[in-house]
Amino acid sequence: MKSEPMALLCHLGALTRHLTPNITRSRLHSVSSPVPIQVRPYTQNLGRPVQIYRSRSTDPYLNLSIEHHLLQRSHPESTVLFLYTNRPSVVIGRNQNPWLEVNLRALRQGLPQSAAAAPTLVRRRSGGGTVFHDAGNANWSIICPPPAFDRDKHAEMVVRALRGLAGAAARGGKVRVNKRHDIVMDLDVEVGGVETFKVSGSAYKLTRTRSLHHGTCLLSSENLGRVGGLLRSPAEGFIKARGVESVRSPIRNVGLGGDEFADAVVGEFRKMYGDADGREVVVGEEEALANEEVVKGLRELTSPDWIFGQTPLFTFSTHPTEDDPRERPGITHRLPEEFRAQFTVRHGEIQAADLAGLEYHYSVDDASQDVVLSNALVEQRLYYIEDWRSALRQASPVPVDVEGVGEWLNYMF
Amino acid sequence: MATIARCLRVVRPTAYSAVLRNSASRTIGARPFSMTATNAVRKYTKEHEWIDLSGDMKTGVLGISEYAAKQLGDIVYVELPEEGKEVQAGDAIGAVESVKSAADINAPISCKITQINLVLEEKPGTINQVAEDDSHGGGWIAKVQITEEGLKDFEQLLDAKAYEEYTAEEGEH
Repeated sequence: MKSEPMALLCHLGALTRHLTPNITRSRLHSVSSPVPIQVRPYTQNLGRPVQIYRSRSTDPYLNLSIEHHLLQRSHPESTVLFLYTNRPSVVIGRNQNPWLEVNLRALRQGLPQSAAAAPTLVRRRSGGGTVFHDAGNANWSIICPPPAFDRDKHAEMVVRALRGLAGAAARGGKVRVNKRHDIVMDLDVEVGGVETFKVSGSAYKLTRTRSLHHGTCLLSSENLGRVGGLLRSPAEGFIKARGVESVRSPIRNVGLGGDEFADAVVGEFRKMYGDADGREVVVGEEEALANEEVVKGLRELTSPDWIFGQTPLFTFSTHPTEDDPRERPGITHRLPEEFRAQFTVRHGEIQAADLAGLEYHYSVDDASQDVVLSNALVEQRLYYIEDWRSALRQASPVPVDVEGVGEWLNYMF
Repeated sequence: MATIARCLRVVRPTAYSAVLRNSASRTIGARPFSMTATNAVRKYTKEHEWIDLSGDMKTGVLGISEYAAKQLGDIVYVELPEEGKEVQAGDAIGAVESVKSAADINAPISCKITQINLVLEEKPGTINQVAEDDSHGGGWIAKVQITEEGLKDFEQLLDAKAYEEYTAEEGEH
């Protein structure tokens, strides 16, 4: 069972460069902790009215799959808390565009000033915008029945947890839930007045029978200053996307450790739901991977068809169009003077392509060659194109100069 | 429709409920431009989807109710169903996003999706404007072919009056 996801992920690695190449299902470290050793699988807990889980895994795909499994399988009347921390990841919302939200090339190169592996690209199932996760960021998730659903209720719960802790208080920061359902911290600044920073974002997934609210919390991330470049795409000025765009906010750590935060959130959760004596269940990787439904969800989340193919309709064009009349950014790459390109992409698949002005090695009828080349790109999946230079070469009926244009398109996508 | 209709914090649309109660026509959302056969019947699910059954009882049009659209807030994206898909009542067939929430749309009855409303791809807010309009520019989500099982499912649904009562009751919590 353990090797199957590994083999799957290695295969996927060949298809897309954007997943971390060395995802490992690490063996469980023995952790000395006060939590009693469990002999029952965590799934036996799903019928209880109040459930608390903590994940041992730092794999974002697995954690989201465990979360989804809890959403689907926990008792319909129950209330569930799930806490997890992910290795460095860029997490986009269900209806977002990775080419627009993320600098995919920079992502592959990894965080600046860091020798660590490149962050993982993840698309979650809930709505909302793009966030960065790492060891200094905590994720909390509450699942409850629809009548009890409220977008702020559990964010307020986390605020109570934060207010009770030394770190936040010591920094003199006041935490609260804002109108966008984010948790923000108001800091007094030297010059007088107050500056507000986001410390937590929220997102939701609503099914017929259950409601899920999950959010982040910046505790002590080392990467705050490093992620800006990853979350700015060079293609932004050229893409017009349907779907959901991120709203950027200045961010700050609250200055807390992972365990103290988690313990405080569990404490507030118990106060709310009266489960003072209930056990906390720790979910290990092996145990989660032994569950068929978790693995099914994992397969979905790791598939390029989900990560890239779930992207809403968008157009890309080098020049202003009726659909997108904005002035385009300057292009520093060397491109043929007459070069123009326009793509319509739906579900990650090129539905229409219109390239013009490419330079062919011998000229028969440039315009009609452009048409043939363009048509050859249609129905190709954008996320399967590893290198635009070879894609263009293959699409062209006649040898064509691919370096300039190919390089630039690689930079865009 | 994943319901947040019973969400306590949402601004209660009391004016809206009042309009419903006082409305002369009991059907929610008059359809002056409707292209449905005049003897089409409309019913609702408790999860706030609606479905129009055509006169010949073989086809239908579905969407989410005005009530649901109001509760959801500004819809910024609609994940449309897959054409050709065959579904059971209650299956998730798509989703809408509003206020960072991805909310499932569920099939009101067993049916086969034959056509989807591409207007919503460009203008998801159409649902907020005309959620129950099944004509060309309306907020309908899909056209469907109805099976035997679907007809049985249809009988279990709420008619316009029952739905109105149901939502009024919810609004009072």
